[in-house]
Amino acid sequence: MGIYEISLATVVGINVILALGLNLITGFCGQISLGHAAFYGIGAYTTALAAQSGVPGLVSLAAAMFAAAAIGVVVGLASLRVRHDFLAITTMGVGFLFLGIVRQEDRWLGGELGISAIPAFGLSKPGYLLFVLLLALLTAMLSGYINRSWMGFAFEAVADDEDTARVVGVDVAAYKLAAFSLGTALAGLAGGLYAYFTRFIVPDDFGFITSISILSMVAVGGIGSTTGVILGAGLLTLMPEFFRFISDYKLLVYGVLLFAVMRFAPEGLAGVGRSWLARWRLGRRAP
Amino acid sequence: MLFLELFAQGLIYGCMYATIAVGLTLVYSLLRILHVAHAGLFALGGYLGLLLTNATGSLILALPLAAAAVGVVGMAIYRFCYEPILHRPPYVALIASIGLFIALEEIFRLIFGPYGLTYAQAPLQETFAMGGMTIRRVEIVIVVGSVLILGILSWLSRHTRLGVAWRATVDDPQMAASFGISVLKVRYLNFFIGSALAAVAGVFISLLSNLVEPTMGGVPSYKALAIIVLGGLGNVTGTLCASLLLGVTEAFGTIYIGNFMDRDAIAFAFMIVVLMVRPQGLFGGR
Amino acid sequence: MKPLLEVADLTLHFGGVKALTDVSFAVREKEFLCLIGPNGAGKTTLLKSILGIVQPQQAEIRLAGRSITHLPTHRRIRLGLALTHQIVRPFTCMTVRDNVALAAGHQRLQRVLGALVHLDRRSERAKAAAFLERVGIGDYMDHPVAGLPLGVLKRLEVARALALSPRLLLLDEPLAGLNHVEAGRLADTVAEINQGGMTVVMIEHNLSEVLRVAQRLVVLDNGAKIAEGDPRQVLLMPTVQAAYLGEETDIAAD
Repeated sequence: MGIYEISLATVVGINVILALGLNLITGFCGQISLGHAAFYGIGAYTTALAAQSGVPGLVSLAAAMFAAAAIGVVVGLASLRVRHDFLAITTMGVGFLFLGIVRQEDRWLGGELGISAIPAFGLSKPGYLLFVLLLALLTAMLSGYINRSWMGFAFEAVADDEDTARVVGVDVAAYKLAAFSLGTALAGLAGGLYAYFTRFIVPDDFGFITSISILSMVAVGGIGSTTGVILGAGLLTLMPEFFRFISDYKLLVYGVLLFAVMRFAPEGLAGVGRSWLARWRLGRRAP
Repeated sequence: MLFLELFAQGLIYGCMYATIAVGLTLVYSLLRILHVAHAGLFALGGYLGLLLTNATGSLILALPLAAAAVGVVGMAIYRFCYEPILHRPPYVALIASIGLFIALEEIFRLIFGPYGLTYAQAPLQETFAMGGMTIRRVEIVIVVGSVLILGILSWLSRHTRLGVAWRATVDDPQMAASFGISVLKVRYLNFFIGSALAAVAGVFISLLSNLVEPTMGGVPSYKALAIIVLGGLGNVTGTLCASLLLGVTEAFGTIYIGNFMDRDAIAFAFMIVVLMVRPQGLFGGR
Repeated sequence: MKPLLEVADLTLHFGGVKALTDVSFAVREKEFLCLIGPNGAGKTTLLKSILGIVQPQQAEIRLAGRSITHLPTHRRIRLGLALTHQIVRPFTCMTVRDNVALAAGHQRLQRVLGALVHLDRRSERAKAAAFLERVGIGDYMDHPVAGLPLGVLKRLEVARALALSPRLLLLDEPLAGLNHVEAGRLADTVAEINQGGMTVVMIEHNLSEVLRVAQRLVVLDNGAKIAEGDPRQVLLMPTVQAAYLGEETDIAAD
């Protein structure tokens, strides 16, 4: 594995954590968020500042998770107040607000130029890759566990029909907040890992396009499916590399793919996989 | 003096936002879709308006042509992109729409280049003095034009058969269908008018800055999304008021809190503050 | 004996339209009370305000002496209320059994972090199966909800409400949409459950079933209570007859 492959694999690991976090909010709990990159950014900036003031790596990653989740709970509280179909736009607004403030704040956050020369995490590149992949694996396990637990059962109910969830005694508000805080904490972790990886961050790393890319990973993989989302994150991260020979068209391909998946296979890779599996089983059962 | 100038600025932007946002509200009120690709149609309008003006030398000719063409594209988008996925959960149409928007932006970039185009001879740039301010003709045209177009549309919606059918369908599609109104026809009409309005707004903004570029759709239409939320989603009057209010708020905000956040963030800060106080939007019913 | 549920001076309007005006009534422990009245009388709205799904402008609601007027819906459920909707609202992405299992395990959902440590759904699924058998739709257990006929979904609503093991069961027209045999059988089941000690309030249009199972009636008309008492006596009152005039009634026949 060369340096290039190691970097690529690290980014895949970070994006898997990021996408699984959003999948908790949007997939499991049914709350559309178009501002996930803001929490990614909060994590990255928190880590960058902490690392620069000499805080050890693991502590600053924890701080990133905490900071992102704290803001996530605030946004979650706000989201409880607005009508369901406002949420997508409110979270999009949060994303723009984050970006707008970070861009103008040049004393601590470096304004448009961002923060550079972030201290290293203290692992070699392959070591850091293993660390990221380990965290991605833990995140995937956590995600699968939540889905099977009664918390996941309640999320499923909230995503399906909030009003019905209330009449079976589900505290809808509490579960939405839980989803927001867990999902944004994972975004914070991913942001921290990203900051230690590139050691140089600028506001535009965390803009609306990033939010959309994360949502695309979830949607293309299959909303609500842990395996699907991991595949989606991997595929969409690596895709620009596949299309390097037509690099000028890569965003076009991206847009068309996003549209095409929603138009022709709205349940994503996971949905396609499920229907193949069903057909295969049917084929075996038939004489 | 500064006050008056900022207010005029706010009014101009407010009118432009209104022209974009009305189309979004129309689509939302009929289909419950957040039509992000509207931004692409806005940019398409700008490009067509500019290209046709450069080709024919007449803005008067180019503006309606561009509006009609974009209106037809809007209908095609409804037919081929939205209609087949209407029965899916709302995020499906939302994400599809985002994909479509990205693709449209990229098509503009690939065909017309990343740096944008300018008018061969930008019309309506003459300035004159009014009330102590220097005003360009185009600014007057934007305000008067938007008010006129939206006024005529509102009159038509009240006084023509098609308009009445349209309003009935927005109120209650099932009831309208049972009265023999073709819901499909109304949806086409809706997309035609909404998209044509976006095109007009696109031409306006291209005249204001003498520039069309691939990414021109982005920011104004994200703001238009904020506006339709402020207006109470699907409420046309609310949308118009919210547009003007946002235009003015931004103009003043840039001066007074501009070094704390940039212009684009002000719109969303405003939206979030309003939603915390009135979760149903400024003009939304409960 | 103290009543289980007391509703006092409940007034609710939507915008300018008065849906309920000064409605007061009480439900005694273990009784079977039917709520009747012409269409648009406000019966469904009354049940929904007892659950806190809609907010009355003025009311005092007590469950077993404790005021629940300002509690959110899920807290009222935990205190022992359960409601079936007139227009069915199942979880459409789950199987029939999971719809009921979730309700059966609602105690596990009370603490969010507590819900995270519970994995096992077996005992709730077993309970769910029993409730589904009881309302007569055991055969549909593992079907996804989407596409099932209304008759099954109506009974699913009842099974889900029962699974909450409530103290007071509120049923909003559970028999509508069922055929004659199914309706009779479900009414019998509800009556049996009532005899087992559960208090029941039921909205119902089918007056012959009402007369068969109800111990007491409350009649609403135009958002106000116009009568209350023994079923046969109430149905013969002139005010009640007048309210039902124009509606299809065949009271004398029963």
